[in-house]
This record gives sequence, C-alpha cells and structure tokens, in this order.
Amino acid sequence: MCNLTNIAKTVGVNKMVPTVSVPYPLGNPQLRPDDEWALRYHRTGVALDALETDVDGQTIFPVKI
Amino acid sequence: MKLEIGKFFVKEMVFGEKTGYSKGVLTINKEEALAVVKEDSHITEAELHIACPGDEIRMVPVKEAIEMRCKVSGGVMFPGVTNPVMPAGQGRTHALKDCSLIVVGKHWGSFQDGLIDMAGPFQRNTIFGSLKNLVLVGDTDEEFERHEQQKKNRALRWAGHRLAEYVGKCVAALEPEEIETWELEPVNRRDASVQGLPSVVYVLQPQTQMEAMGYNTLVYGWDGNHMLPTYMHPNELLDGALISGSFMPVSSKMSTYEHCNNPVVKRLMKEHGKTLNFLGLVMSNLNVAMDQKQRSAYMVAQMAKNLGADGAIVAEEGYGNPDVDYIQTIVELEKVGIKTVGISNECTGRDGGSQPLVALDPAANALVSTGNVSQYFELPPMKTVLGELESMARDGLSGGWEGCVHPDGSLVMENNGMFCSDHISGFSVKTCMDY
Amino acid sequence: MLKAIHYINQFFGQVGGEDMADYEPEIRTGTVGCTQIFNTLAKDVEVTHTIICGDNFMASRTDEALERILAMLEGKTFDIFIAGPAFNAGRYGAACGQICKAVKEKYGVPVITSMNEENPGVEMFHKDMYIFRGGNRATFMKQDMERLAAFADKIARGGKLLPAPMEGYFPRGIRHEVFLEDIGQKPVMAADRVVDMMIAKLKGEPYQTELPMPALDRVPVAPAVKDLRKVRLALVTSGGIVPRENPDRIQSCSATKWGKYDISALEKGFTAPEYKTIHAGYDPEQADKNPNVVVPLDAIRAYQREGRLGVVDEFFYTTVGTGTTQGEAARMGREIAAVLHERNVEAVVLTAT
Repeated sequence: MCNLTNIAKTVGVNKMVPTVSVPYPLGNPQLRPDDEWALRYHRTGVALDALETDVDGQTIFPVKI
Repeated sequence: MKLEIGKFFVKEMVFGEKTGYSKGVLTINKEEALAVVKEDSHITEAELHIACPGDEIRMVPVKEAIEMRCKVSGGVMFPGVTNPVMPAGQGRTHALKDCSLIVVGKHWGSFQDGLIDMAGPFQRNTIFGSLKNLVLVGDTDEEFERHEQQKKNRALRWAGHRLAEYVGKCVAALEPEEIETWELEPVNRRDASVQGLPSVVYVLQPQTQMEAMGYNTLVYGWDGNHMLPTYMHPNELLDGALISGSFMPVSSKMSTYEHCNNPVVKRLMKEHGKTLNFLGLVMSNLNVAMDQKQRSAYMVAQMAKNLGADGAIVAEEGYGNPDVDYIQTIVELEKVGIKTVGISNECTGRDGGSQPLVALDPAANALVSTGNVSQYFELPPMKTVLGELESMARDGLSGGWEGCVHPDGSLVMENNGMFCSDHISGFSVKTCMDY
Repeated sequence: MLKAIHYINQFFGQVGGEDMADYEPEIRTGTVGCTQIFNTLAKDVEVTHTIICGDNFMASRTDEALERILAMLEGKTFDIFIAGPAFNAGRYGAACGQICKAVKEKYGVPVITSMNEENPGVEMFHKDMYIFRGGNRATFMKQDMERLAAFADKIARGGKLLPAPMEGYFPRGIRHEVFLEDIGQKPVMAADRVVDMMIAKLKGEPYQTELPMPALDRVPVAPAVKDLRKVRLALVTSGGIVPRENPDRIQSCSATKWGKYDISALEKGFTAPEYKTIHAGYDPEQADKNPNVVVPLDAIRAYQREGRLGVVDEFFYTTVGTGTTQGEAARMGREIAAVLHERNVEAVVLTAT
C-alpha cells in the first residue's frame, strides 16, 4: 500500500493499493475522524481482497474512498 | 522588466568601528550587527565570526547561506519575509560579492542542517568554502523544537536575512565596481528575431513537502506548499522573491544565496536573444501526495505549452519521493512536445548500487546529475569548529548518525549532510558516473 | 610483481575446436597460447598458471566445473584472476563470467575479463566483475589483451579507479559522484552543462545524458491466496513505526536495521505515544498522533473480529525507507521474508510512505 505507485512499479511490485499521501498513507487530517476511519477500513479491505486476486502483471487496485 | 545588480568585490572582511565598505575591505561593527540579530528576543545567544577560504574552520550545524545585499531602488529585500510584501525584480540592488553570510546553530541541529569546511580536502565540496563568510552563530528559546529532528529554525534564519540586509546597506550609496543588468521583455513584446529563436522555460521545483507551515521554501513570503505552479519573471528569483526553506536533507538544498544567484537563470538570460528565447520561470513545487504531484506536473506542462515553449529545463530541489514530481513533470512536458532537460542529484546508496532516482522513465533522456547524496566521506579533525560538531551525530542531521563524530574531531558522514553541496541551483562541478 | 591465474577455453588453450568443447578443466603451470600475450604486455603482473576448460563442460556441468576449478586454485598464490577475452563467443563469455564470479566470491581477489558488448555474458555478469569492452572477433586479441594488461598493472600499482567509460569496462550498476577536475575534465558548472544540453537537444544535435535510465526490475507474480481465513497474515512497513523507545535503534535515515515487535496484546490497534514514527523523510505529525495511519492495525483487528482473516502474526516488521540503499532494503527484505517463512506467514500487507 503506497502513495507513489510509480516507484513501487520500478522495483517490481505486482499488487498495489494507492494510499492518501506520504505522511499519512491511511489517514487524512482533513476528514472527520469517522470518515478517516472509513477510508482506512475500506482501503485495507481492498488490500485484503487484492491478496485473494490473481493478476497477470503489475496491477493497481482501485479504491472508492 | 529590468534589474541592475551593483557589485562590490570584497577582498577582505574585518570587524571594526564602523560598518562600511571601502576599496575591497568590508568592515563590520559587531555590536551594531548583533543588535540587528537580537531585535528578535527569541535569540538568546549570538556571536559573529569571520571564516575565510583556507581558514581551518568547520561550521556545523549550518542552517542558511545568504548574500549580503540591499535594495537601492525598486523594492525591498526579501519581500513578504523580513520586509513588507511588494514586487521584486526591478530597480537597483547592491550586492557584496565573493562573500556570504552563514547562519550556524550554537548547539542544536536539525535534519536540514549541514556542514561546511573552509580548508582541507572538503573545502571544495561547497561554494561557501571559496567565499569569505560572515558567520552568525546563535541559539534561541525555541524550546518547542529543541529536540525535534525537523526544525523551522525561524529565529536564526530570519535573523540571518535581516543581518544580510543590514550589512548590504553599507554599500547602498556607493558607486558599484561593476553592474550586471538583467532584462527580459514581456513575452509577447519581443522582436521577431528573438521570437524566431527556440524558446525555453526554466521550471523550478523548490522543496515544499512539509504540510505544517514554517518549513518550506517561501515565495514572496507565502508557503510554497500552498501554491499551484505559476509564472514568474527570472528577475524575481534573482532579486529575493524566494527564500530557502528548512526541511531539505541539506546537500539537495538551494540556499537563499543560490536563489539570488541562480546560475542557470543567469546563463539562460545571457543566451536570450542569441541562441534562445528565454520565456521565463515556471515556479512549481514538490508535494507529498500522488495526486498533488500529478496536478503540478500537468499544470506545468499546460503553462509551458501555452507559453509556446520549445524546450524546458526542470530543476528538482530534492531526492527520494520528489523524484516522482521531477520525472512526472519531465514526462508531461515531453508528452506535449516540449524538449526537456533535467538537473538534479542522485541517491545511489553507499555501495553505489541503488537505482539513482526512485522514479524512472525513458522520456527522461537528457539529465544533468550534480552529485550523489549517499557518497561516504571521512573528514579529518579541524582546528576550529563554529557551532557544535556533536550535532552531526546527535541531532538527526541528514548526513550523520549516532557515533559518527569521533573524540579527536574527525567524523564520517554522507554527502547528504554537506551544506548545499550538490548545488542543484547549478554551481556544482561534480557529476555522477558509472564505476 | 603480482601473480595472476588466467582462464581460457579449449580453443584458445590449443586443445581443439568445437569437437573438444566438453574438455574437462585442467590447470597448467605457466602460460598457454594467448595467455602468453598477457605476460608480454603486463609490466607488474605475471600469469603463473593457465586454466583450460571446454565451453560445453562449463555450460552443462557448471557446478562441477566450478567446484573442480576452485579446488585447483587451493594453495596457489594469486592476486588477480583473468578470464578470456571471449569476443562474441556466447558460451565462452558466460563461462568467463561464471568462473570469475565464483573466484571473486571465494578468494576476494579482483577478477577481470573481456568480451564484446553483444556477448550475453555482459548482460549476465556486468554487475559482478570488471568486463572490459572487447572486439567481436579473435582478431582483436591484442587490443583486448592490452586493456586487460593495463588494468591489471593499474591494480598492481594501486592506481585510482576512474569511471567505467574511462577505464573501458561495462558499467557495473555502481554510480559514485566525482569532481570533474579529478577525472581530468574541465570543471564546467552544472548550469552550463544543462543549458548546453538544452541547446543541443533543441537543435537536434547529439548530447550525452549524465544519468542514463536503468532497466526496470520485474518480480514473478506470487499466486493469490485462496482464502485469507486459512492463512497467517503479517504486517510490514518501511514507514518507520516503532515502539516509543526505538529499542533496536533503527536509524531514521539510511537504515540498515529492521525490527520485529510483538503486537499480540494490541487488540484495537496501535496507540500513541506507545508507538511512533522515526522516519525522517516525512512530516511525522499524523503518524505520531495515530500510528495506524501508517500501519493500519486497527483496521486489521476489525477485519479479524468480523472473521475476514485467519491468524494475524503476533509480530509486525518495520524499518525506515528514506535514504536506505536498495542493497540494504533488499537484504532486510530477504531477512524479513526468511523469518516470515519460518513463521508460516503466507500473506503480507506492506505499507510504504
């Protein structure tokens, strides 16, 4: 899970979930605490789903929030 | 817009009764100068020293380097910072040359502070090793960041900028020994002969990655993180519209001194009308989130394209995740048909084997490399240390680590901690090569 | 006078041609054929023994060939090991690379070889040794030997290593900074270099980039986990989250250490200030307030309670990613992976800043 998916690609990562930013990958101080938690919960869930998904090559899994 | 820089070449720097300049000798009245520093009650201790090339002096933690200069007409020094905000880049500025003002912490360093040697094998690693330096060593009551690795260093940096102007003012009324004239007509009012030349923009990506305020490069006193790319006249950069920040691992830093003397801008101005049509500056930034990096890259490319640029030079004040902003900006410029050249440093790791930039793209096929952040140095002891040597080991400076300073005064460090040593502004006489 | 041992194939060893490609490795005292040319060219280095081995033997029975040749070197005194030149002969180039690499690993001496840029041995071994740029035919023997001899002499005299293009060998994937004046070049400022490069690029004239783009890494895709509820999952991070006292003193920049910390008692996730970040490359404010924004343990615990997950490893694994060399990161990655394997971890969520 990283913000800079370009970098992850150059070192060969195959499954990537985009994060919010460098200093707070799964947080966002501009959101209300419940919304921030919802974001973290959702994106972590996408990562778990990605672990159970077969891919052909380097793949970025989209997130909804 | 025309800017004249009146130059005074300092041959000798001394402390004396009256601050003034005559026939190459710059005299500074210590008490008056320190009074300017201590205008800010947050400064608890301050001393002034003179450090010249060849003096066995080591300075650490160095926080800033500033050219001593003043505005004679057409504006104020460092608008929006130590003076009210107003336009910069025109009128007359008088500058003391072959010298600079260096700001050093008496004890406490931070991630962005570095080291300068005025003699010995590492004298040549920074341009300040070849300048006569007025050195301000100070301590402050900024307890909130005393033991933080990231420091705003505000009191000392502002004091340095104030002091630079105080000293610079001593040549305000004098006739310069030489005058540099920087002039660039408005973009759409240029002669056909100039319009016919290949046109170029200089894209500057200053360090602006802290989201908390007080650390980043300031543009007319405004935090560079809270900006989108914009268009500026090169004179504004040469005349103090930008001051350097306090966040960058220091070999990658562009000091205020270098912003005011940016040699890429000066060279482009010299080529203007001869080989190139210099369209001006695109002031961008460096951001921490992918979408912010992309936004700035897209806007830079749009702006350059619609200014009609044929070529662009992109300068990245940083390494690591800022390489993403750098490469992406180059890629977007190339995508809209603008031939792009980049200037940055590298981080190849101490063994030299790491990928030199963290982001790569075949479109980035014309790059100048000014140095390697990871280069390993062994420094001999130095007779005099201005500041505190142990700060390199204790305070989280980017090129140091616990135990890197030895009891005999020698130390080991990474180039990362050598003050502005990669001179991405353009002063670097280093490159990186395959070994 | 330094001593060298020189490896050549069956053809240059005057044993035979393709018909003798299965020739078993042997060591002879003195020089044979072309290795004699080396001795006439080098001033401070002398080849004392020649090893001859068939290209097919090395290619198809590599482990055995290496074992036998390394055994032949036991008890011999040598300061440099040379192989080839292999020109465009693919199996010969690969053989030179294999033996040089093995000798370097076992004996730690400088190893040098030579082959043409088209030789597949270059791609395979350029990172492991000095491979000098060679001609594409045996007619280049003298020139290629001259380069090898000159470099061997330089090693003998303790001369300073110049950048690869100046020394004449293929880049080894190692880059260092260098002052232009130290390599006999005019100390042209980067500002002038970049504007000159701009002008050349605009004119369509040739220029030389100072930072060539390296090839990108690819990793084979691991098969997907069939059912997360049946496996052990671990959390790993390069974001520098550590227990407050940073007990293992992981460095804030250019890290060479990683830590593993017991989180089994943290039922709801990380708490501050018991956990914090030590990563110097980003604004620590949010991570220090709530470390779960870097390692989402609280979300993982929620999924555990819901039955989405099986076992979550008792430890989480952490280091700092700023300034850390790729070599160190790869080593730490391998070490962490080894521990994860031991602990039967089959799935990892890795967060990076």
